[in-house]
Amino acid sequence: MRCGPIPIPAGYRETIVTPKSSRHVDAYWSFIAKKAGQSVVLPDGHCDIILEHNAVGAEPPTPIITGPATQPYTVQYAKGDCWLGIRLRPGYGVSVWRQKLISASDTVLRGKEALTLLPALNDLQERNLNLENLSKITEASTAVQIDHRLALALEALHVSGGRMRINTIATMAGCTARQINRMFRANVGLSTKIYAQLVQFHRALRLVHSEQLPPASAAFECGYSDQAHLTRAFRRFGGFSPSNIPQDLSQPELFSPNVRFIQD
Amino acid sequence: MKFAYTIIYVDDVPSTIAFYESAFGLTRKFVHESNLYAELETGDTVLAFAGNEEAEMNGLAILPNDPANPPSGWEICFVTDDVGSAFKQAVEAGCTAVSNPNEKPWGQTVSYVRDLNGCLVEIASPISTDS
Repeated sequence: MRCGPIPIPAGYRETIVTPKSSRHVDAYWSFIAKKAGQSVVLPDGHCDIILEHNAVGAEPPTPIITGPATQPYTVQYAKGDCWLGIRLRPGYGVSVWRQKLISASDTVLRGKEALTLLPALNDLQERNLNLENLSKITEASTAVQIDHRLALALEALHVSGGRMRINTIATMAGCTARQINRMFRANVGLSTKIYAQLVQFHRALRLVHSEQLPPASAAFECGYSDQAHLTRAFRRFGGFSPSNIPQDLSQPELFSPNVRFIQD
Repeated sequence: MKFAYTIIYVDDVPSTIAFYESAFGLTRKFVHESNLYAELETGDTVLAFAGNEEAEMNGLAILPNDPANPPSGWEICFVTDDVGSAFKQAVEAGCTAVSNPNEKPWGQTVSYVRDLNGCLVEIASPISTDS
């Protein structure tokens, strides 16, 4: 947890994969630090496969695999540090973590631990470090079919800003709430409730930050019981209060999975 | 101020357009290449469909329409002189019948169906103004 301003991660780029229905990956992203600094990563409930290295150093790249995040965390970087990342679609975390996904939330595996989990990453150290090669390596590893009921539940949560009730979603998907919850834990690695809260938080943040809605109005529109409720969510998932959102907050469109291209 | 559009958020825009053509005899005005927005030829007030994900992209949150749950609290109403035939065509095209055509005390024939997305559609005769 942290407070204070978040520097815009200059050098951050991402490409959202489309079409939605055909992909296992939400985005390919890269980040090159033009100078030393730190950046806060907001939790989005996704799993990432990352290669970290330094353009000026001779060190071999470090593979990193993240579990679904529910808390903000700070990344420190030195000049020339580079990351190449693949953000898996929610639901595909299981393809990398397998049975360990259950306990993977807010976990980051680095180096050997990441290689043990996904041995295919070993191949990359011999090749050119680019997203295309990283995606080829991970493509085979993440080729799982997710249950259409889970896909429908994820879509319903995103479309409703996290506000649709689990029982309504279950009716829609033609199964029980228990089955939905089980699929979330097994494939996303988070409870349905936490995932819904993350979607709700990101939308509220957008309304307050980008659309300049007063926090009280955003709280009502986003389904928080009152402004204090919204404030708690901001502190929990962002580490800041609604009245003190870092002005230079960079907000990748993590929760608009259908946007075609997001750039700089 | 002018009432210009009714935009319904749906799961699948192209199939909804095709459905409205076969069920209600309307014709498409255009379908955007993204398949996330389309309009029907409905005159001055446009009936349009947008993909559910458009709502999220615009920072909106909606309750998606769903045939398995009760319909949202609004309807669209088509008017025709031959309610019976229109109702039959709609149901044959895949609409769910909600209430068969019946004549109201004020002389209007009224029926209700739900479309492929579960949205409520009324098919009725025009209300006569010269009685």
